[in-house]
Amino acid sequence: MATSINCWKCLARPCATSSSRISSIVSSKPFSSTSSKLVGGPKPFKKAAPAGVKQNLRIKKKGAQKTTGRPPASGERKAMRKRIVLSNTNALAVPGMQEFNKDLVADMLEGGEEKKSLVGNVVVLPGETVDALRAIDAFKPTQGWGLFNKPGLLIRQESVELTRALVSAEDEKSTLRYVIEGSKGSGKSMMLLHAQAVAVARGWVVLHFPEAQELVNAVNDYAAIPNSNPSVWMQPTYTAEWLEKIAKANPILDTIKMTQPHNLPIEIPKGTTLGRLCELGVRDSDIAFPLFQALWSELNQSGRPPILLTLDGLSYIMRDSQYRNTNNELIHSHDLALIKHFTDFLSGSQTMKNGGAVIGATSRSHHPISLSMNLAITQALEKQQESPQTERQPFEKNYDERVEASLKDVHVMKLSGTSKDEARGLMEYWAKSGVLRQTVDERSVAEKWALAGNGVLGELQRGALRMRI
Amino acid sequence: MKVSRPPAGLRETLQCACTPRPAVFNRQRAFEIRPRRFTTAPIPQASGGRFAAAPVRFPQQRENRNFQQDDDIGGADAVGPKDLFYARLVPASRSYFTAQPIFTDDLLSLQHLVAKYANLPTVKPGEQPRVSWRGLAEYRDQVGESVKASKYQKIVKLLARLNQIHPSLVPADVQEAINEYRRDIDVFKNVRRPAPVDGMGRTLGAGRRKSATARAWLVEGNGEVLVNGKTLVEAFGRVHDRESVIWALKATNRIDKYNVWGLSQGGGTTGQAEALTLAIGKALMAHEPALKPALRRAGVLTRDPKRVERKKPGKEKARKMPAWVKR
Repeated sequence: MATSINCWKCLARPCATSSSRISSIVSSKPFSSTSSKLVGGPKPFKKAAPAGVKQNLRIKKKGAQKTTGRPPASGERKAMRKRIVLSNTNALAVPGMQEFNKDLVADMLEGGEEKKSLVGNVVVLPGETVDALRAIDAFKPTQGWGLFNKPGLLIRQESVELTRALVSAEDEKSTLRYVIEGSKGSGKSMMLLHAQAVAVARGWVVLHFPEAQELVNAVNDYAAIPNSNPSVWMQPTYTAEWLEKIAKANPILDTIKMTQPHNLPIEIPKGTTLGRLCELGVRDSDIAFPLFQALWSELNQSGRPPILLTLDGLSYIMRDSQYRNTNNELIHSHDLALIKHFTDFLSGSQTMKNGGAVIGATSRSHHPISLSMNLAITQALEKQQESPQTERQPFEKNYDERVEASLKDVHVMKLSGTSKDEARGLMEYWAKSGVLRQTVDERSVAEKWALAGNGVLGELQRGALRMRI
Repeated sequence: MKVSRPPAGLRETLQCACTPRPAVFNRQRAFEIRPRRFTTAPIPQASGGRFAAAPVRFPQQRENRNFQQDDDIGGADAVGPKDLFYARLVPASRSYFTAQPIFTDDLLSLQHLVAKYANLPTVKPGEQPRVSWRGLAEYRDQVGESVKASKYQKIVKLLARLNQIHPSLVPADVQEAINEYRRDIDVFKNVRRPAPVDGMGRTLGAGRRKSATARAWLVEGNGEVLVNGKTLVEAFGRVHDRESVIWALKATNRIDKYNVWGLSQGGGTTGQAEALTLAIGKALMAHEPALKPALRRAGVLTRDPKRVERKKPGKEKARKMPAWVKR
């Protein structure tokens, strides 16, 4: 790896790159990636043991490690691990960045000849968007937000397409059904975040399941919804927490008043705002799910904003959950009320009256394998490319009809590496932030792009920012 | 190198009794030796016996014979009175009295040639035709003498001087001398053919490392790399391995000029990555032969011959000794 040869402490950028690895090669020898034994120079002589001291080969055992100071309180380490840092005052502020607002969304869609395309630019998320996205846990600790002065977002060709689809769904009051799929580190969660940022900028209501895993791994309390046949299971505590996030992320709910009568366990006066409705649900988890249903039906009244419903980690909900029913059998994920709510819209069996979108993103790190989901995604991609369809494996038993029904006719966005222009835009942003201490030219972009598997963003970041050898 | 043969000078004289030297390595001598049949026996061939000295003739016998034949000591009927024959062994060459007679003869004949054609025009150093001379071992084997390397070097130097003569003016005897000392196989004719660029603009290179083998097809492009149908990231988890794969392109600043389609199998990840390094290096050299020195310096043309060392009996691994146990 070509490293910069300037000092580490100052942020001044070097004027030219130098490849230290090639300059060190003097004579011809076989290519080897291991260092020579002589690299460290001659080893110093070991001092002989003083006379009278008996030498033996026994290695002395160290005593038990002494604990110093206070041990971390319960949950402290996890909080540290999950901490999201969105601003780094040590990083340089990049001047002249555009804000991700309604105007920018409009610009993104125009992008004609007279205007320079936004693709390849990094735009900064405005304060209110950051607050909303933080409230719904859209940021993840692994995405490297803490390296930069302000959270920025790269505009890709695919994100422009997604934006166009979202805006047309709003205009036509239709429900957009999308699945985002791609290799590890290709920016699937960031694409979700882009959709959420567009939704916030255009005044949508945003609902987000940040980790589908948390819905199905049986860590929350659950109960069958009374009089449901077959049984559908609600998760009161999770719903209450989710309502809190929804209320926090969508200040617009405070301006919308309830208009419809609902059959609710508690008396709620007419004219209560939806924000207040959420608040009531947060207070009492037992009534959280009915209140969520009321909230949803209110949002589907005419004249209400469009809704964005997103979920990250799709393959977790495409199989049996780890919850068990009264017969001690595993409950299918689609029998959990919140997931059923999501899949009803994803499959298209229900639609949003004021328009909106339901987007699921797959995950490629530590994900369960759902054969039916993989098949449905492959088939959808083949359908989009008008190529011959892959059929089911005839002797495979583990296909799931419900999963295939839920993913029928969804649009699949396949993410792969970025183009070189996009990679260059991103690297220039890194360089301006003082994080990438290297000149960004065609050569360095080509190298990083190739090493990152033809421009996979996660690997690009890993190679350029994390691994500074 | 010692060879158990009779002394060479004597051998030359007793040529009829010795196997002749191989025809491929006959050299001209400064002093021409005519192979001479000689015998003192009256019926040399019919009896099948060969004698170094004449059988003793007793006076009685001599008396019975004609005294006119006394001068003709050989006594052979076929030999005429004019062809004088001495029974005493005479060395063919005066080199007989040196330690390595054949070598001395060879050296003298070459020196003679050099002196004879010293005035012929020569080519500039480096422009003469490249000739690979016979090695010392081969020469010793041919002449059967223990010739020192430094002595043989003298011959090689003389040959090099003869080879400097302008090719259009080389005399026949010089050419003959050069041909005598030329190796049977001309190593300089073995020129490696450059790998071809096929009809679709691809070149193929192959490489090996440890127990991995790899092939790589290189085509002009924009820097995309696929290994076994996967991207570099999917194929190699380690960044170092990824860098190894494209090292040939990186060292020559060609990353964004070519696309790579590679296949690698066997061995582990490091082996596969570095086998691909070699394969891509060779494929790149087929596209641009002028890059050879740069690629050589980057170390992507040289096969690393290191392999896993075999396990030995009495050892736990290749070198590791079993733990010492008291009794």
